[in-house]
Amino acid sequence: MCSNNPYIPMPVEIIKIIDEVDTHDIKSFRLKFLSKEDEAKFKYLPGQFSELSVYGKGESPIGIASSPTEEGYVEFTVQRAGTIQSGLVTAALHDMNEGAKIGLRGPLGNSWPIEFLEKKNIVVVGGGFAFTTLRSLINYMLHKDNRSRFGEITVIYGARTPGLLLYKDELAVWEKRDDIKTIITVDKGDETWKGREGFVPAVCKDVAPSPKNAVAVICGPPIMIKFTLPVFFDLGFSKENILTSLEMRMKCGIGKCGRCNVGYKYVCSDGPVFSLAELDELPRDF
Amino acid sequence: MKKTNFQDISDLAAQLMGKGTLVAPVKEVAGFNFREISDAKQVDLNFYNTLMSPKSAFFPHTEDFVRYDKNKFVLDAQCVELNLKPVFLFGVRPCDAKSFEIMDIHFSGTGAVDPYWKKRREATTIFGYAFDPNTPADGADFYSTLNIGAADPEGSDIFMMKKGDELLLQAVTPKGETLLSSLSSLVDASKDDEKYFDDTIAAGHSFKTRFTCVDEKVIAKKLEDIFLKTEFWEKISDACLSCGACTFVCPTCYCFDICDETLFSKGVRRRVWDACMFTDFTLEASGHNPRTKVYQRLRQKICHKYSFHVRKYGVISCVGCGRCTRNCPVNIDIFSIVDQALKE
Amino acid sequence: MSINFKQIEDKLKTEAKKLLEGGKVSIVLAYGKGYDEKHPMPYVARKMSDVENMVFNEFCTANMARYLVRYPRGTKIAIAVKPADSRAVIQLIQEEKIKREDLVILGIPVYGMKNFKTGETIDSKTTCGRYNPVIYDTLLGEEVHGQPVVSPYDVLAEYEKMDKDARWAFWKKELDRCIRCYACRKACPMCYCDPCFIDQNKPKWGEKSPESHGNLMYHLTRFHHLAGRCVDCGECSRACPVDIPLYLFHKKVAKECEEMFGQAAGMKIEDKPALVNFRVDDSDKILE
Repeated sequence: MCSNNPYIPMPVEIIKIIDEVDTHDIKSFRLKFLSKEDEAKFKYLPGQFSELSVYGKGESPIGIASSPTEEGYVEFTVQRAGTIQSGLVTAALHDMNEGAKIGLRGPLGNSWPIEFLEKKNIVVVGGGFAFTTLRSLINYMLHKDNRSRFGEITVIYGARTPGLLLYKDELAVWEKRDDIKTIITVDKGDETWKGREGFVPAVCKDVAPSPKNAVAVICGPPIMIKFTLPVFFDLGFSKENILTSLEMRMKCGIGKCGRCNVGYKYVCSDGPVFSLAELDELPRDF
Repeated sequence: MKKTNFQDISDLAAQLMGKGTLVAPVKEVAGFNFREISDAKQVDLNFYNTLMSPKSAFFPHTEDFVRYDKNKFVLDAQCVELNLKPVFLFGVRPCDAKSFEIMDIHFSGTGAVDPYWKKRREATTIFGYAFDPNTPADGADFYSTLNIGAADPEGSDIFMMKKGDELLLQAVTPKGETLLSSLSSLVDASKDDEKYFDDTIAAGHSFKTRFTCVDEKVIAKKLEDIFLKTEFWEKISDACLSCGACTFVCPTCYCFDICDETLFSKGVRRRVWDACMFTDFTLEASGHNPRTKVYQRLRQKICHKYSFHVRKYGVISCVGCGRCTRNCPVNIDIFSIVDQALKE
Repeated sequence: MSINFKQIEDKLKTEAKKLLEGGKVSIVLAYGKGYDEKHPMPYVARKMSDVENMVFNEFCTANMARYLVRYPRGTKIAIAVKPADSRAVIQLIQEEKIKREDLVILGIPVYGMKNFKTGETIDSKTTCGRYNPVIYDTLLGEEVHGQPVVSPYDVLAEYEKMDKDARWAFWKKELDRCIRCYACRKACPMCYCDPCFIDQNKPKWGEKSPESHGNLMYHLTRFHHLAGRCVDCGECSRACPVDIPLYLFHKKVAKECEEMFGQAAGMKIEDKPALVNFRVDDSDKILE
C-alpha cells in the first residue's frame, strides 16, 4: 500500500523558518525532501497546494508559496490559526524549529492557468495573508526563462499595516525592477511608512490597469474580493479574465473525502483556481 | 445454474469460509448486519435488508493508513499494509449491489484512484440476493423509483434467489462463474429453476416501491434551480436534527475525515467516516464555516446526491434502499423532499 | 379512560391557528405529517396555512423542546409538550437558554405513546412516569387521572441487580456498538453545547473512530453532563439507530441525583439545576 498511495505523505525537513510579520503568527517554512525520488516526483505549478502533515496532529492544506523555478526546496507560508475545534497542525508547525521533519502530500489541485496567461498582461491583486500562491506565480513569471512569455506584470498588494506585509525583502526587489510594476499599499501606515495608504479596491481603481489583453488574478480576504471585483468589472475585465483561488476545508486533497465541494466541483481537485465565469455557474455555498 | 436447500446454507457458508473471508448478514440487537462470519451457522438470510449498508466491506468505518510514534521521526512511520484473503460478500440486495457501481465511479473510476477501495473491491466476490417478490416492499424503500428492480443481478458476481425452500445461484460474471463451479455443496439446478429465475428477474421490474420514476437530469436541474430558495430548504429542514444517522447507514455516502488518533505516544493516521450533517464537517482552520446552518447542510446532502453527483458523474448517488428514512430519528424521508422540490 | 388523539390534534390545530392569527407567536413547534401515518415528524408552523399539516397521534414521540434553542432569543414560540417534554422546557428555562415569557406552552396530557420504529409502547420505559405536563398555558385535552402510578425508575430493577463489574461489562458491550452518528446528543433537548466537547480538539477529549476508547469517552461524559438535567424523555434511546439503551444510565443518574439532592430535573422554574447549585445541606454521598 506504500507506493503510489495518494494518502501517504513524503518525509521532508524544515531547512529554514522565516518569521514574516510583526505579529509573529505567519511564518514561512522552507522544506527539503529527504528522498531524491520524492523530490523528482514533486513537479508543481504556481497555484497548487499541498497537505502539510504532522503525525499526531493531522494534515493542513497550504498553498505553495515558492515558485517551481526555485530549486532545492518547496516553501509554504502558514498562519497560526485556529479555534477550539481547529488549527492543530498550524500551531504545531509554528512551534517547530529548523531541522524538524514533517510530512508532505502533493502537489494537489489545479494551478494558475499558465498557458492561458501566456502573452497576456497580468494584473496580480493580493490582500494580506492570501498572497502566498500569488508570490509563487510572480516569481515564476519573473524568472529569466519565463519573463518573455508574459506581457506587462502589475502587482497590487495590500495589508492592514506595514508590519503585516509578507515577503518584504522580495517586495523591495520587485519595486526596483523595471519589468514589473509593483504597488504596495497598507490600510494604515506607521511613522516609518513612506508608501501608499488605502484599501486595495481603491488602489485598484486608482491604478486602473487596462483590460486590454489582460488577466486579473485576485486573492484576498472575502471583504477585499467583494469590493475589488466591481472595480475590475468597471474597468472592463470580463469574468473569463478574472481568476481567483478558493478556500474550503480540505482533507484528502484528491477529490475523495467529499467536504470541499462548491456545487458539483471539488475545490481540491477541480480547483482551487477558478475564473469568475466558472464560479458564476456554481451555487454560492462558500 | 446451481442450487442448494435453504436449510443447508451453513454448508455453503462453511465452504466459502474455507476459501477466504465470509461476510454475511447476521441477526443482531437492532437488526441484521453484515459481519465477518466465524461460525457458519450465524449466516441468516431471513432478513429484509440490513441496518447498516454493506459498503463497509470496501469502505470500512475506519481504515488505517499509517502507524506512527509521535516522538520519533516521520521516517519511522509505518504504512499499514492491507493483506486480504479473498472476501465473499454474501446476501447483498439488488439496490445495494448497485450502490457499489456508483461508488466505483467516485473511488476508482474518475480522478485519483483510492487504493483501499480498489484493493478491497478486487478481493471481493459479491453474492447478490433478490428481494422476495412475495414480500411487500418495506414502507421506506423506493429503489424502483431509481430504476432498480427487486431482482436485478446487476452489480453481483453471483446472483441468488429464494425459490420455495431452495436457494438458486446463478453466475453473473466470469469471477462468479469460476467460484460457483468450485462449490461442491451445490447441486445443478433444473430447467424449471432457470425459468423461475428469469421470470423472477422480469417480475422484479414490475414490482413497485413508492414514487414514480423521474429522469435524473430533471431532478438535478430542478435542485440546481432552487438552490438559493432558502425558504424551501429551511422548511424541509425544520425537523432535521443534523445528526449523522442517515449518512452512516447510507450505501452511497462516502465522505470521510482523516484523523490522527494517538494513545500515549503511539498513534495511527486513519480515515474515519464523516457526515456532511455535522457542523464541523466544513469548519476551516481559521474558524470560517460555510455551512453553519442546518438547512445548508441538509441542502448539501440532498443536492450532492441528486444534483451535483449527476452533474459530476452522470448518476444519482442513491439507490432507494430506504435506510436513511428508516433510521432517521425524526422521520425525514429523503425522496419526499426531492418530490416536493420537483413541485416547487 | 383512553386518550383521544384526534381530539388533541383538533385542539392543537385550533390553538395554533389562534396563536398565529393573533400574532402572539411567530412559530408553533408541534407535529406534522410524515411519509405515512406511522411516521409523523416534528413540525414548525409559521403561517395559518401550515396548520392544516399538523397531526397528533401515538407516534408523535419527538420532544419538541429540542428545537427551542435553534431560534434567535426573543422569538415568540408556541410549543406542544407531552409530560416529559414540559420538564425539558422548565429545565431550559432554569438554564437560561430560553425565557418563560417568550413561550406559549401547549400541554398534552398523554400516555400510550408508541415507538415508531418498533411499535412498542414506551410508557414504562422512556417517559418520565407522568401523564400530565408539569407546566402549560393551555391544556389540549383533559388531565389524566386514575392511571396506575408507575415509577420512572422501575425499569432499573434488572440493571440495579448487576454489580459494579457487571455494569461496566454491560456498558462496554453496549457502547461498543455505537456508530458515533451523534443522533443521541442531537435529539437531546439538553445537549446544546456548541461545540460539543467531543468535537473539540484543543484539547482532544476523545477519538472520532467508533471504537471503545472514544465511544466510552463520549457516552460517559455525556451521561455525566446530563446528571441532574436529564428529564427522562427517552429521545436519545429512540434516536439511536443501533438501539443502545442509553436511558438506563440517564435514569440511574437521575435517580441518584433525586435521592441526593431531593430534586428532579425540570420540575419547577424556580429551581436551580442540582449540580450547579451549592447548598450547605447537600448530600456528601458522592464523596464517600
